[in-house]
This record gives sequence, structure tokens and C-alpha cells, in this order.
Amino acid sequence: MSMFGGFGRPQPSSAEKIAAAEAEMDLVTDMFNKLQQACMKKCIPKEYREGELNKGEGVCIDRCAAKFFDVQMKISELLQQEAQAKGAGGGGMGFGGM
Amino acid sequence: MNGPLFPPGGGGVDGADAQTMAAVRSMQMLMESCPGKTAVSGVMGFALGGAFGLFMASMQYDTPLATNPNAAAITSLPLRQQLKQGFRDLGSRSFSSAKNFGKVGAIFAGTECCIEGFRAKNDLKNGVMAGCITGGVLAAPAGPQAAALGCAGFAAFSLAIDSYMRRPSETD
Repeated sequence: MSMFGGFGRPQPSSAEKIAAAEAEMDLVTDMFNKLQQACMKKCIPKEYREGELNKGEGVCIDRCAAKFFDVQMKISELLQQEAQAKGAGGGGMGFGGM
Repeated sequence: MNGPLFPPGGGGVDGADAQTMAAVRSMQMLMESCPGKTAVSGVMGFALGGAFGLFMASMQYDTPLATNPNAAAITSLPLRQQLKQGFRDLGSRSFSSAKNFGKVGAIFAGTECCIEGFRAKNDLKNGVMAGCITGGVLAAPAGPQAAALGCAGFAAFSLAIDSYMRRPSETD
């Protein structure tokens, strides 16, 4: 979630910086919640006897989180490629073509 | 509040606390790792096997010594020497039993931990597979049939014990 590459834009004002930081915080929290829900649903069975994670669950959560991030990176790469292709094709049409 | 940027455990930890917490956590992780579990299981199996072997060996002395073919060699010694021989015999039997139990415990715990780490699931199949491998490895010197029998037997035993331990509790 990096800032746009500045083509000589003026420095963002403090209000803009705060807004950008808030937006980033929202995104990160959202991603964290989604990741937590997805991996909890996948890895933790509905019936359990103890509070600690046993080895199987720990390994499952590690793999789930790694896969989540990999999927996210791959999808953002695909989106970028799509956007570039659409942009090169003339006119940003949004995501209607999908 | 749970969130990605809020450290767990709250604020106000000074350096010493953080260090002891880190040490405790690393100790916990060591205990829960596969080598840690193997070692703990091996040691506990050794202790249990030693006690069991001692018990079983001490029950061997209820038959009169006269029927033992080596009796003449033993009873001719003074009492102190006889006792020493007896204790040495007890010790060696208990030690061999301890070694066996220790091996069983270590191999079972190690393979179960590895299988669980591989499958990323915690259910009964891990114990069954680990039991089969343990029984097979222990009986392997006696041939393939004995290994198959040992695998099946130990797997069934492990399944029985695990399903007993995991049975739904009566208070639920």
C-alpha cells in the first residue's frame, strides 16, 4: 500500500497525511480481520477441549496465513496487469469487463 | 482490543519482565516442538519402564531357588554376595525394560508429532499411523510378518487409548 509515485506533486499536507494513514490503518485492520476469520474457520474445529493451540492447528494457521498473503500478492499483480492492459487499450473502463 | 498493531499483553512491561516472558515462551515452544516432545516422552517412558521392570522382576523371586539350575552356584555364596547378585539381576531386568519403554515412548511421540505437523490436523488418524510405525519399527528385527502384526496391534492400541481420552465428556 505505497503512496502514488509522485510526478513532482506538491508535498501532501498534514490533513492529507492523516487521512492516508487512517485509510491505511483501515485497510490493514480489514485485512487482519479477514485473515483471522478465514484461518479460524479453516483450521480450528468446532469442538475443542483446551485453550492452547496444538501442533496441528499451529501449523495450519501458519500455512493459512502464508497462503492468504500469497493469494493477495498474486491477485494484486493480476489486477495491475489487467489495469495496464485496459489502460493501454484506451480508456479506463473500470472493472466492467470482468 | 485485538488488532494487528496492538501488542498483546498490554503495556507497561519493563526490560526484565519482557526477558523472562521471552524465556518462558521459548521454553514453552521448546516443549511443544517435536524434538522436545520426543525427549520428554522418552524420559517418561524410561522412568515408567524402570518402575514396571522392577516390579515384574521382583515378582520372579517367588519360586524357590532350588528349581533354578544355577542355584548351586548362587546359594554357595555368603548372604551378602547373594543379595548383591539378586540386586544386580533386578537392576539389569529393570534397565532393559526401561530401555524398551523409553524407545516406545520416544518413537511414538516423535512420529505422531511429525505426522501432525505434516497433516496440519489434529485427529485420531495421527495416533493410528504413529502406532503402526512404532509397532512396525519395534518388531522389524523379527521379520515382515511380525512387523505387520506389531503395526496392527500397536495401531489398534493407540486408537483405543486415544478414543477413550477424546470421548465426549459427560458434563457437556
